[in-house]
Amino acid sequence: MDKIVEVKNFKMMFDNKTVIKDLSFDVKKGEIFGFLGSNGSGKTTTIRALLGFYTPTGGELLIDGKKYNPEDSAVTVGYLPEERGLYRKETVIDNMVYFGELRGLKNPREWSMRYLKRVGLEDKFNQKVEKLSGGQQQKIQLGITIMNDPKLLILDEPTKGFDPVNRRLLMNIIDELHKKGTAIIMITHYMDEVERLCDRALLLKDGVARAYGKISDIKKEFGGKSLDQIFVEVYGGEDEQSN
Amino acid sequence: MNSPIKTVIKFEIIRQLKKPSFWIAVLFMPILIGVVFLISFFAGMDNVDTTPEISEDTTVAITDDAGILPKDNPFNRYETEAEGVEAVKKGETELFFYIPKDFLETKKAEFYHISEGLEIFNFDGNYLKVILNQYSRQRVDAIDAMAIAGEYEIKDNKLTSTGEPSNALGKAIIPFAILAIYFVFMVMFGSRLLMTVVEEKENRISEMILTDVSSKHLIIGKIISMLALGAVQILVLVIPIIILLILNRDNPMISSIVGMIEIDPVSIISNIALFVLSILLFAAANTMVGVLVPTARDASQYIGPVIVASVFPLYFMQAFMATTPGIMVHFLTYFPLSAPVALMLRSAFGTLSPVELIIGLIEIAIFAAIILKLTISLFQKNAINFEVAKLKLFKK
Repeated sequence: MDKIVEVKNFKMMFDNKTVIKDLSFDVKKGEIFGFLGSNGSGKTTTIRALLGFYTPTGGELLIDGKKYNPEDSAVTVGYLPEERGLYRKETVIDNMVYFGELRGLKNPREWSMRYLKRVGLEDKFNQKVEKLSGGQQQKIQLGITIMNDPKLLILDEPTKGFDPVNRRLLMNIIDELHKKGTAIIMITHYMDEVERLCDRALLLKDGVARAYGKISDIKKEFGGKSLDQIFVEVYGGEDEQSN
Repeated sequence: MNSPIKTVIKFEIIRQLKKPSFWIAVLFMPILIGVVFLISFFAGMDNVDTTPEISEDTTVAITDDAGILPKDNPFNRYETEAEGVEAVKKGETELFFYIPKDFLETKKAEFYHISEGLEIFNFDGNYLKVILNQYSRQRVDAIDAMAIAGEYEIKDNKLTSTGEPSNALGKAIIPFAILAIYFVFMVMFGSRLLMTVVEEKENRISEMILTDVSSKHLIIGKIISMLALGAVQILVLVIPIIILLILNRDNPMISSIVGMIEIDPVSIISNIALFVLSILLFAAANTMVGVLVPTARDASQYIGPVIVASVFPLYFMQAFMATTPGIMVHFLTYFPLSAPVALMLRSAFGTLSPVELIIGLIEIAIFAAIILKLTISLFQKNAINFEVAKLKLFKK
């Protein structure tokens, strides 16, 4: 299976503080990859470096064999960041059409109306985003992320703050895209989601991979424990020390 | 032009044009500026002292073809108007008045003097009124009655030191209009650009949008769209003024102002070149502030010094009006942020040498390019920094 993401010997320092020591992993085309770790372990930093927001201190981060450039990438990328928002003073449809046009979607308005109908927001298309509820805004953000059928979808804590309805919607979308062959990187703290959805995973701690591989292999490595138990075991020592 | 830039421009322009606040600002700002200008102009006019400033040392000559003044008047006398004008050119006399033979019918006299600088108010011509008034009190006839009533016009003929007719004010009108347009642009376009740059960070859209478009194209698209909106604003301001001037071209005041306008290609082209580069510099500086701060509220604190530095030369208007520029004028001419207004003022006043103009243009262009390049690089780095960026610009 071809690799869509390759991270080789990635190092990242901020103000002389090392966040990532030496990280190497890959994500294969069409797989769902769980990127796990506690808060501040460097998951978001890795994704930001992969997408070119940060310049790595060392190593290489490649998408489809190249450093990512939004305007010169053969791979369409959808990214739902942890810090996410919309143009609050603009209408729902204007937001969606703008992102659709930037992605090179042929008929962004038609696509957006179809999506809004699917998520039950077709009557809100002409409303300003600031008038929508938090849950409704999440649906719009999700729609923008999956526009133009991305070949690589990066979801940074996608279910954070999602109500159960939107969570189910997200899971359905992940499922659909997975069937279409989209590679998905999922950063999450919900281990049940990882066990249910992911093919492979990486557990990051202190800037290095503490576990990496197929979910079944990781479990075997930790004596058949569940991912939840593994997470507690890896980070538990830290808690005991700090306590 | 690349497609992402086009998309950004289209989005930014359309959404601004849809906002009522944009049209309120476009339509009311010129009215507000006009009202403030008229109030300050007329308030200033009330306080203007029209008494001529003639000292005892001032040399005054009069040619009185109408025979109004007594033969034993103490002023220098020339046989003809041409001789008097020649004397002014040679510096033999500072002020020369010519009272023509038909003064009673035409009620017009002539006044000649050297005027190199930009004299908005010169009331030395009124000295003839003082003289006529003084002598007419000695005998009252038709001429004296007119003199006492002051019902006549003294035409002010300004000359350069080389004897050419001087029209510094007329030459300065168009360059000043360009400066005024730059000023309106600064006031309105600067804050709008700042808001639109901060918006992505404030609304946490930066990461989502920078996955689809490069920071360079996003910034360039925003600047171009704001320039286009600024152009709309200028057209809304200028077109009604031109229409009003055309419709009222027979009005004596308007025709005298329009008649005074002299096209000075050098200063007009200089100010247009300065205008274009200055807009780029100001846009780059505003964008940079927007990039370094997380919210529009923070931006307003940081943009203050940029605006103050930009308009600083206006506080030293008197110094700029002097024919020989002083240290402060030179400093403001070359300080990057104040350079645009300082250079445009000096170009309008006719005190900017070609060498200084070229240095100024190069300086503004270089600074605009450096700031813009730095801004694009910082935008990418700070797009996900939701706190005020530390200014470690040159640290790796």
